[in-house]
Amino acid sequence: MCTGRIDPQFVLKAFEKGADGVLILGCHPGDCHYREGNYNALRRFHLLKKMLDQFGIEDGRFRLDWVSASEAEKFVGVINDMVKKVKALGPLKPAPPLPLSKKKGRGDIQAEAHG
Amino acid sequence: MSGGDKQGIMKAGVGVYFCSCGTNISENIDIDELVRFTSTLDTVEYVKSHNLLCSEEGKNYLAEDIIKQKPDRVVIAACTPKEHEKTFRNVLQKAGLNPYLFQMVNLREQVAWATSDKSSATEKAKSYIRAAVARVALQEPLEEREIDCNTDVLVIGAGPAGMEAALLLAKAGRKVYLVEKNSFIGGRVARYEEVFPKMECASCMMEPKMDEVLHHENIELLTCSEVQEVLGFLGNFVVRVRKKAGYVDKNKCIGCGACYDQCPVTVKNEFDYNLSDRKAIHVPYTGALPNVPVIDCMSCLRFEGRSDVYKQALDQGLITKREYETFKAEDCRLCKEACLFDAINYEDKDEVIEREVGGIVVATGFELFDPSVLPQFGYGVYPEVYTSLEFERILSQTGPTCGKLLMKDGREPESVAIIHCVGSRDKDFKDYCSGVCCLYALKFARLVEKHAPSVKVYDFYADWCVPGKDNQAFLDSIKKWKNIKFIHTTLPMNVPVKKRNGKLSLACTDVSNGKHVVSADMVVLCPAMVPAKDTARLSELLLIARGKEGFFAEGHTKLAPVSTNMEGIFIAGCSQGPKDIQGSVAQAAAAAGEVLSALVPGRKLKLDVLTAEIDENACAECRICIGLCPYNAIVLDKEKNVAVVNTVLCKGCGTCVAACPSGSARSRHFTTEQIFAEIEGVLK
Ligand code: FES
Repeated sequence: MCTGRIDPQFVLKAFEKGADGVLILGCHPGDCHYREGNYNALRRFHLLKKMLDQFGIEDGRFRLDWVSASEAEKFVGVINDMVKKVKALGPLKPAPPLPLSKKKGRGDIQAEAHG
Repeated sequence: MSGGDKQGIMKAGVGVYFCSCGTNISENIDIDELVRFTSTLDTVEYVKSHNLLCSEEGKNYLAEDIIKQKPDRVVIAACTPKEHEKTFRNVLQKAGLNPYLFQMVNLREQVAWATSDKSSATEKAKSYIRAAVARVALQEPLEEREIDCNTDVLVIGAGPAGMEAALLLAKAGRKVYLVEKNSFIGGRVARYEEVFPKMECASCMMEPKMDEVLHHENIELLTCSEVQEVLGFLGNFVVRVRKKAGYVDKNKCIGCGACYDQCPVTVKNEFDYNLSDRKAIHVPYTGALPNVPVIDCMSCLRFEGRSDVYKQALDQGLITKREYETFKAEDCRLCKEACLFDAINYEDKDEVIEREVGGIVVATGFELFDPSVLPQFGYGVYPEVYTSLEFERILSQTGPTCGKLLMKDGREPESVAIIHCVGSRDKDFKDYCSGVCCLYALKFARLVEKHAPSVKVYDFYADWCVPGKDNQAFLDSIKKWKNIKFIHTTLPMNVPVKKRNGKLSLACTDVSNGKHVVSADMVVLCPAMVPAKDTARLSELLLIARGKEGFFAEGHTKLAPVSTNMEGIFIAGCSQGPKDIQGSVAQAAAAAGEVLSALVPGRKLKLDVLTAEIDENACAECRICIGLCPYNAIVLDKEKNVAVVNTVLCKGCGTCVAACPSGSARSRHFTTEQIFAEIEGVLK
């Protein structure tokens, strides 16, 4: 298995079940054991990050990084850094519901079109 | 999967085994507490612990206990699966349980060794156990699959490396298809007169090898041929090779040469880097093997290709307009008439040949960095500036001057300057050292001494790169020649070549700040070795990676120097990186050894078990997976309109599964449900 297998739902599931942070570590670009899975992971990461942002999940809680098997020091550094940042953010708080009157959802627009 | 199976999963009775790994795990994790906790989990039937499960005694205990307890699934909490997952899978198999109904928890590396506080380590371990127990309930039995393999081999390139690999494999009884793009075999070495450091005659060295290649019953040599398509994987490749028409039947031709004597067309001979002429029907040099001429349809009067050549000749004023026009559409048959053996066949056509092989050795060699992009050397501007390969031809008995040291204008030079490291060891061009230029520069000096002892040689070098057991002595012996002068510069790239009073003049400052102005009749450049032109195309075709300099990338610099990222495809010689003949041949032998051990007649190949599969009832034919698969393992079934995974090509990366919008792609052993269960288990 490879970072290319990571379905964005895995990350959402983790946050839903109470994770305060999610860290994805993959092989370096160009070095993926399965050729290019990590490039796909990178694309999905950026999309998902935008979405998490809209959910009110702070930046430091979701991270993608590259660590090869021989980079013990980097591995430790990334983990400690992530832990430090997530600790500083504190436990994940459920976001307050968006004030519906301000932002129009897709349903509202359809309703208008039909109305 | 049938409904009954699903029910079976629901009531999974899980047996959990803890290993304390001596004290490695128990020292930092409270195993008794873990045992207590684990027995409270719903699906867990029993929990046991052991001191060292991976020991012989431990494995026997495990097997016997599984036979006795008959669990549906097993969780083993021990060390990293990297170390013992395979071990325990084998035990399960022996005990009659499918090895994929098993999950391993890494309590040692990920918990005991990583978390210092015993009570938090124990808590962490609990969440891992919960995850594994939840996941294992959803795991499915998987069957190992084996397929037959083909043990024949494709070797691409018939230079010293390709020939060596082909011969070794052929001698081991393998059928070898040796594909060579040229009409002759021998590679670059066919152009050399002598080789360093022992100044051995290159053709005397190579010819016995070439003869063996030509006559070995297990080698099918395909000259003038190019690999066009490669499908498949280790043990089961299908390759398509385009064999270009040569118009001469090799079974009839005796190589007498009567045809080219009669041919009315003369063009430049690219084998001699345009330093000599050849006919449209030709062998590239006297002694070329196989000794069968080919018709070059770009210049033969009978073919359309020639019109370009004549247009050029017309533009250069070599022929008159009238001549040009009358040349058109000529039914010249002079070679056919000259041939006493009826070997010439104007109807010959390109052929696409398909072969099945199990392994591939790529030995496509090198080219020289093009020095005309470095204006300081005047290559391509001053006819007296040559590349090393051009100089090899001048020194060769079969070359344009029959081995006499003569320049293009027919004069013998009084002095020759050799410049090392052209385009090498320079971050703007090629930042590596090709490792052979110092040595062939010394060889050139020796050959000049032999052919024209009065000629003076000036050698502009940066550092001597002459490792190996014979090479230093070779350098020392050349240093004794009175007509050679070595000029030690920091950067041979900074030795500009100018023309003054009809002579070339080279000026530079040496490392001890001495100024040198050398006038020379002839300059020989030693450019960096770069990958052969076809390397990029082949890398795409074979799906094998290249490094940043464009050479094929080896599996591991030290420990897997001839393997690639593709199982069953090996590299040898200069296609892997610059090296000398000795290194190329050694790599070829290594590649042959790899093939012999990877593919053994009668032995089956194990396939990946953990592949993807697509549920044809749910697939909406969006084809996203097809575009994403890095192994081209997914194809569209045009009848059913669904994507289908070729489980032989699939390596189980899971990229398609994560991308499938309908959820119809599944990863065996890493299904979304299993991973969800694991996440929920950890976070509960
Ligand atoms: S295997 Fe693909 S990211 Fe590591």
